Amino acid sequence: MDMNQTKIPAEAEAALPAADTRMGRFYRALLKRYPIWPVISFFMGKKVPEHKHSAWYMLGGIALFFFIIQIITGILLMVYYKPGQPWASVNRIVMEVPFGALIRSMHHWSANLMILTLFLHMFSTLFMKAYRAPREGTWISGFILLTLVMLFGFSGYLLPWDDLAFFAVRIGVSEMEKLPVLGPFAADLARGGPDVSMETIGRFYALHVVILPLVVLLMIALHLLFVQIQGVSEPDAFAALPDEKKKYRNFFSDFMIGEIPVWLFMFGLLIALSATLPRELAAEANPMGAAPEGIKPEWYLLAPYQALKLFPGKLELVGMAIMGLAPLVVIALPFIDKEIPTGKRGELITKMAIGGLIGFLGMTIWGLLS
Amino acid sequence: MTESKKDKKGPASEAPKNDRRRKFLLAAAGGIGVAWAGAAAYPVYRYLAPQPVPDPFGEEGKAPVDKITPADVANPGMGKNGGYAARGIIVLRKQDGELKAFDSKCTHAGCNVQFQGNVIHCNCHGGEYNLDGVNISGPPPKPLTELRVFEENGVLYVSPLEPEQKG
Repeated sequence: MDMNQTKIPAEAEAALPAADTRMGRFYRALLKRYPIWPVISFFMGKKVPEHKHSAWYMLGGIALFFFIIQIITGILLMVYYKPGQPWASVNRIVMEVPFGALIRSMHHWSANLMILTLFLHMFSTLFMKAYRAPREGTWISGFILLTLVMLFGFSGYLLPWDDLAFFAVRIGVSEMEKLPVLGPFAADLARGGPDVSMETIGRFYALHVVILPLVVLLMIALHLLFVQIQGVSEPDAFAALPDEKKKYRNFFSDFMIGEIPVWLFMFGLLIALSATLPRELAAEANPMGAAPEGIKPEWYLLAPYQALKLFPGKLELVGMAIMGLAPLVVIALPFIDKEIPTGKRGELITKMAIGGLIGFLGMTIWGLLS
Repeated sequence: MTESKKDKKGPASEAPKNDRRRKFLLAAAGGIGVAWAGAAAYPVYRYLAPQPVPDPFGEEGKAPVDKITPADVANPGMGKNGGYAARGIIVLRKQDGELKAFDSKCTHAGCNVQFQGNVIHCNCHGGEYNLDGVNISGPPPKPLTELRVFEENGVLYVSPLEPEQKG
């Protein structure tokens, strides 16, 4: 490539450090080789609307923060975890490895906080009606991410191979087995046999540490790409303002720097939770023993857990159909509610979402107390 | 396209013919692609598919009971959780002296149920069965799977319940 033909745009010349400084020379040399100024300029122009609900824009970033923590603590756990001796190796991490219990508890708590953040993220975008055109892709990719993260939780739950892990996964897969047509086939493939066993560990391990991370990273990239291209959604009230009254902040670096204290607070919260409420390791899974008394799922599964108890016998498929319908409605939302600004139908959807949220919380509390 | 063909028919009549050829080639390429994907996926599926499980009752048609001795169920009202062939089992002696055995996998969501004296209880979703293994409350849709249990040389064995012995 003829270096003299690659011109640095005037806009870049103005923004870069002076040409006679070391950094100025470095950036110019870089831009001559890789003409990426349009990309840099695009990101420098990225703006976040400022209004009374702006704080909700931080949730996606917080979820990403917890995901990064998951990757780091997950890699650290992999160093000692042995899929051939699952319980013994986790027991060693907790009992012998310095700070092992802390790393494991952080992995547990960060997963929980990530799921909580994603729920809040989803409901905040739902109530801001950010899912409407042209952001259907962001909404659907976000919903797929939430589903993948739940699958992450489910596959990771089995790996310590304690009593809790064993029965939780046995219930989960046996529910899957009841699904018509593909259910039994998928359940056998997931378990690697007629029952949850050590065979299942290898499958869930590959899923948890290789397949899901790859797919989730790809989906995060897609989700963020959509947000970058379209910018964050503006609530109706903000969009209706005259242009001179609309206030924006630069994402780089004003908004990002504003998020750093929030990330630091979340890190503090995570450490505090992990140190004061460490994740316990129950007795090693015993496929012959009875399920332990008082066994309960994680908080985010308490609602379906309670539903499982409420639909006895043959009614169970009805319950599963209702629970299976909810995700379909969520995916279809941008195509049901298109009005901008929100009209009667949009308001009805908001009320239904509030109803759904109250129902979910009610079932969760009922499941917790029962 | 060769020169001679072009001369015979001319470019005007060639467009629809090319179109047909393109469609055919696309369909053929798609078909080959699907066949290739299938040929590649089959070994992967077979690799991942579960291996056939040996009959838990073996060639003799019976399996020894693990962790429960005849002494554990010697008297009426006694019972215990144990195992056979890596599965869970409950062996109990009813008040009338009859010895019963059930696979302890709950018929609801698959947890192992627990012998609790006068009832069989599931700690996961609160399902309950009576000492005949019949579901009496909570979500279980059907009775527990009953097994035939007997003692041989001081060891308890189970075998599948013959259809006529059920109920």
